[in-house]
Amino acid sequence: MGVDGRKTSNWWTVWGLLILVWAGFPLVWMASLAFKSPETFRDGVPTFLPTEWTWQNFRTVFSDELFTSALRNSAGIAVIATVLSVIVAMFAAYAIARLAFPGKKLLLSMALAIAMFPQAALVGPLFNMWRGLGIYDTWIGLIIPYLTFALPLSIWTMSAFFRQIPWEMEQAAQVDGATAWQAFRKVIVPLAAPGVFTTAILTFFFCWNEFLLAASLTSTDRARTVPAALSFFTGASQFQSPVTAVMAASVVVTIPVVVLVLLFQRRIVAGLTSGAVKG
Amino acid sequence: MAEITMRNIVKRYGDGFPAVNDVSLDVADGEFMILVGPSGCGKSTLLRMIVGLEDITSGDMEIGGVRVNDKAPRERNLAMVFQNYALYPHLSVFENIAFPLRLRKNLSEEEIHTKVEAAAETLELTEHLDRKPANLSGGQRQRVAMGRAIVRDADAFLFDEPLSNLDAKLRGQMRTEILRMQRRLGITTVYVTHDQTEAMTLGDRVALLRKGVLQQVATPRELYEQPVNMFVAGFIGSPPMNFVPARVEDDTMHLPFTSFPLPDGLREAVGEREWVMVGARPERFEDASQLDEAALGRGVSFETHVDVVEWLGNEQYAYVPYDSPDVQVEGMDELVEDLGGEAGRTQLVVALDPASRLGDGATATLWFDPTRLHIFDVASGENLVAHVAVDADGAEVTPESSSPADSSATSPPSSPPTSVPA
Repeated sequence: MGVDGRKTSNWWTVWGLLILVWAGFPLVWMASLAFKSPETFRDGVPTFLPTEWTWQNFRTVFSDELFTSALRNSAGIAVIATVLSVIVAMFAAYAIARLAFPGKKLLLSMALAIAMFPQAALVGPLFNMWRGLGIYDTWIGLIIPYLTFALPLSIWTMSAFFRQIPWEMEQAAQVDGATAWQAFRKVIVPLAAPGVFTTAILTFFFCWNEFLLAASLTSTDRARTVPAALSFFTGASQFQSPVTAVMAASVVVTIPVVVLVLLFQRRIVAGLTSGAVKG
Repeated sequence: MAEITMRNIVKRYGDGFPAVNDVSLDVADGEFMILVGPSGCGKSTLLRMIVGLEDITSGDMEIGGVRVNDKAPRERNLAMVFQNYALYPHLSVFENIAFPLRLRKNLSEEEIHTKVEAAAETLELTEHLDRKPANLSGGQRQRVAMGRAIVRDADAFLFDEPLSNLDAKLRGQMRTEILRMQRRLGITTVYVTHDQTEAMTLGDRVALLRKGVLQQVATPRELYEQPVNMFVAGFIGSPPMNFVPARVEDDTMHLPFTSFPLPDGLREAVGEREWVMVGARPERFEDASQLDEAALGRGVSFETHVDVVEWLGNEQYAYVPYDSPDVQVEGMDELVEDLGGEAGRTQLVVALDPASRLGDGATATLWFDPTRLHIFDVASGENLVAHVAVDADGAEVTPESSSPADSSATSPPSSPPTSVPA
C-alpha cells in the first residue's frame, strides 16, 4: 500500500510538472520577450532570457494612445458586462434552482445552446445590425454580445451553487420573519458569495480576453479592447519589430488576471468545495 | 401564546397521494404536543403546514383563533427549530439569534442586545456569542437554534426532529433541556419525532400518525395502556408488543403455546369472533419461579423453550419461538413493515426480572395475567378491550405523566438515564 501510494504520488508530481511547463512556457517566453529591447530581439544569437533587461517596451506601449485607450475600454467593458451578467444570472439561477415555473427546462437548454453556438457565425449579422442601430464601435455594442455569451455559463455555475444551499436556510429565514426578498438578500446571497465570486471572475476573464467580437465590432479607439488593439500594434517606429512591444502589452493585460486569481483563489476553491453547512 | 386548531387538514401532492389525510387536532395553549409515527407518516408535513412552509390542500388551520391557511410563514409568528438547525453559517452566534429581531425593525440596538444576551444566558451560550456556527459542537448548535426560537416571543414553538443529529448521550441531555425550557416558558409546542422515547417523555399528549391518518391522540400513559389499535400498540413500547394469533373456542382461548379460560371481560369483548389477535407486552410476562403462590394463582403459567436470552443489567429479554397456526391475518405484513420489524418471525419477546437465571436454550415456566392482555380484531386491528378497570388496581404505578399544571414537581414518566443538570 505504502509503496504503491508513493509511486502514485510520484507520477502525479511528474504529470504536474509536465503540465506546469506546458502551460507556463508561453507565459515565461512572453515575459522574457517583453523585457528584451527591440534591437536585441533580432540579434544573431537568440537567447531565451534577455541579455539586457529593459523597461523600454513598457514605456513604448504606455505612451501609445492606441494601447491606453484600449486598456480603458477593456476595463470598462469587462467590468460593466461582468456586473450586469452576475446580477442577471443571480436572479435567473435562483429562480432555476428554487422555483418551479413552466419553461424551466427550455430556458436551461436554450442557455446551453447559446453557450455552444459558434460566435463566428454571429459576427456578420451583428456587424450589420449594430451599424443599423448605430451602436457599432461603442461600448454597449460589445457589452450586449458579451452578456449573451457570458450569461449561460454564469447561470449554470450559479444555479449549481444555489442548489447546494439547503432549503432549510431560506425556510428558517421565512419563519424568522423574512420576506422572500429579505431571505434572498440576507441569507442566500451571502451564502452563495463564493459562487458569485467564481462566476464573476470567470465572466470577467471571458470579457477581458475576448478577441473575435472585439476585433469585428470596433473600428476606432472608441471601443476597441486590448486583445483587438494588439493586432494593430506597430511598435515605436515603422521600422521596428512590434513583437517586444506587443509582448509588453500582453504582460500588462495578463497582470490583472493573475492578480485576480491570486487574490480570490481561496475563495474560488472554497466556493467549489464547500456547501457543507450542516455537520 | 396561542392554541393551534387543525380541522380536517388534508395535504395532497400533485400525484394525488395524500401525505396527510383528514387530520383534526387541537393543541391547547401551553401544551406540549408530540407528532410521532414511522417515516413517511406525514408528521413533518403536518408540522410544515402549521408553520406555513407547505400549502394546505383542504381543511382549516387556526392559530390563536385566527385562520392562517393563506398567511405566509412570517405572518404566523411561530418559531421553528429545524432538524439540521438551519443556522446561518455566515453569521456569528449573536447575529444568528438576533436575526429574527433585526427583521422586525422596531427594536433598538440596545433592546436587541438585551434580548439576545438574555436568551444566550438561558442557554449557556454567552461565551460563544462571537463564534461562527461552524466552530460549535452539535449540542451548541442545537442550543443556538433554540435561542433563535426563544428570543422572539413567538406564539408557539415547532420542532422538527431536533435531536436526531445528536449522539445518544447528548440527545438525552438536550431532551431534558427542551422540556425544562418549555415548562418554564409555558409556550405551546409541537414537536415532531420518530423516537418513541422522546414522544413518551416530552409530550403532554402524543399524536400518533400512520400514512397520513391520525391514529390516536392521548397522553403517553394512555397510549401505552389503551392503544386503540394494533398499530398504536405495536409502535409504542420497546421492545414492541408481541402479537399472537389466537383461536377462541367456547370460553377457552388457544394461543400457540398455551390455552386458558377467558376471563369474563375479555370473553364479552371477543364476542362471536373465532380468530383474534392477542397483544402482550414483553413486560407482562414473568418467570414463574420468581413469583409467589398468590400471584401464580391469578394468572396463567406455561412451560416453554427459551431460544436466546439477552441480559442488560436492569432487565433481560428472552426470545421464545413458537409455531404459528396457519392463519392469514389481513394487513399483518404491512403492519409489521410499518412498525419497522421483520415479517414472518414467530417468537415472543419476554422481558424478565434480571434476577431470573435462565440460560440460552433453557426450558422455563413463564407466567402472565390474562386480564392484562390486549385483544385486537383480526381484520380491522381495532382494540376490543378497554383497559381502564385493569389499570385501576394500581399494581404497577409509574409516576403520573407530567401535565402543564404540575410540571415543576413531577419528572417525566420514564426519566432518561442521563443526569439532569440543575
